[in-house]
Amino acid sequence: MSDTVTIKIKKRPWYEWLLWLIWAFILVFIYQNAASSGTELEPRAATIFWVSFVVWLLAGAVIWLLASGVIWFTRRR
Amino acid sequence: MSDTSKARRTFSRRDFFKMAGLGTGAAVAASALQPAKTAAAAASPYTDPAGRPARPWWVKTVDLPTTEIDWSKMERYNERYLPEDERGSVRGPGFAGYVGKEQADALVAEGNAKLKQRILDNVDGYTLKDNALKDAQSAHSLGYSFLGFQKAKTPEERGVPKWTGTPEEAARMLRTAARHLGAATIGFVELDDNTRKLVYSVDPDGHQIEFTDDPVASETETHRYIPNSCRWVIVYTVQMSEEAMKRSPTMTASQTTTGAYSRGTQINAGLQDFLRALGYQCLGESSLNALAIAPAFGVLAGLGEMSRLNRMITPEFGPMVRVFKLLTDLPVAVDKPIDAGIMEFCKRCKKCAEACPSESLSFDDEPTWETRGGWNNPGHKAYFENSVTCYTYWREQAGTNCGICFAVCPFAKKDKAWVHEWVKAGASTAPFLDSFFRSMDDAFGYGTQASAEEWWDLDLPEHGIDSTQPVMEG
Repeated sequence: MSDTVTIKIKKRPWYEWLLWLIWAFILVFIYQNAASSGTELEPRAATIFWVSFVVWLLAGAVIWLLASGVIWFTRRR
Repeated sequence: MSDTSKARRTFSRRDFFKMAGLGTGAAVAASALQPAKTAAAAASPYTDPAGRPARPWWVKTVDLPTTEIDWSKMERYNERYLPEDERGSVRGPGFAGYVGKEQADALVAEGNAKLKQRILDNVDGYTLKDNALKDAQSAHSLGYSFLGFQKAKTPEERGVPKWTGTPEEAARMLRTAARHLGAATIGFVELDDNTRKLVYSVDPDGHQIEFTDDPVASETETHRYIPNSCRWVIVYTVQMSEEAMKRSPTMTASQTTTGAYSRGTQINAGLQDFLRALGYQCLGESSLNALAIAPAFGVLAGLGEMSRLNRMITPEFGPMVRVFKLLTDLPVAVDKPIDAGIMEFCKRCKKCAEACPSESLSFDDEPTWETRGGWNNPGHKAYFENSVTCYTYWREQAGTNCGICFAVCPFAKKDKAWVHEWVKAGASTAPFLDSFFRSMDDAFGYGTQASAEEWWDLDLPEHGIDSTQPVMEG
């Protein structure tokens, strides 16, 4: 058994960081609108924004899991 | 010996206390200077010498309003209906003039009977408590006066000279005073041969309004005289509650209109006495909607744009405002009209016209020069409304004033969610998106009539309005 562990750090390309930044901004935007629509007493708008928030959050999470190889069947040899 | 140990050795306890003292001294000096700095900053918080608020970037100042005006075709309007020329406002005796006295009386009787029955039936928005609140809103009106109530001491009475300053300083001072008296937005227009046509020829109570070379304003049993020196118009808006208006057409919604008018009278009287105390004249509305055409002056002062409602829509509050005006002889810095894409948006939206139960609003794609009756004032290109069918609905069905067109307007938003600002910016800069914005407005449920009974359980701020909306962002 080897005493050493090798950690490989993969450098993400710049556009990938940019895409995550855009994703995060949109997430914040949707969250602000969802929370504010509640205070505006606009129930339908609030519901649509909250659903959008959850969908957008999950979409980002799934993409991250797939891209990072955390899930075993997406790992590259 | 290393450099570090040398430094450690030379930095004595005495040095430490010296440094600590210096730091404390610096902190004290900084805190002592801070109030002076804050006071200096507070002395002039305005980015503009005339006190104009910094508006969102998509509100553009323009030389001509987005409503086309042909001054040669415009005449001074009689706000009181005159049977001999079948022209004048549909308000007051005008309604009977247009539909006939018999019909008008029958409609009033029908409306009153319905109102009583609705109270007895406890219909939401028409219960006794709703009617009581509506009456209470008018009860706190100060009333109207052309010459002002003249309660404040003049500079002569105080034995001091009258206030003097530049037009910019005067405008800034009046803006501050008006806002503290309760106005939402304030603008100024100078009367010339054209804009003078927007001052009524006949007031709602039948008094003739005439301009005169007399130095002091006066009124008789039949006339009101405006000195030619009183050539600056102060226009201001007073917010209505969007949350209440969403209950249109009920007493719950109507009370916010009445409340805004009542607050308007207080600001009117306040500004009249404020200017009197400074040594200047200030002429106000002698009754509801008197003196001049408020939306027209509001548009010229850049407070908003005309719309399919044939009312003014502001970038800040949409149509949720009432507009008031005064005349003064204090020279003030005047404002320019704005283009925030509102009139352009109205061309494609038509939500108000579709929602109007009496079909009184225009469905035309483009505004027109053709008026729809004697209640409209020719000389400007607008979406003219049918005031007679509108007022008939008020009396026959609503039992109170309506306001559905105000409530459904996509510009009527509380502006807490960022998306509203983005949509307004988009409407101003990318008109091809207007139809999409309108569809989304429907899809998100904006403008849907809310429960009048639930309104009583809402914890709303004073007057049901948000006075922190971004008017004074700058």
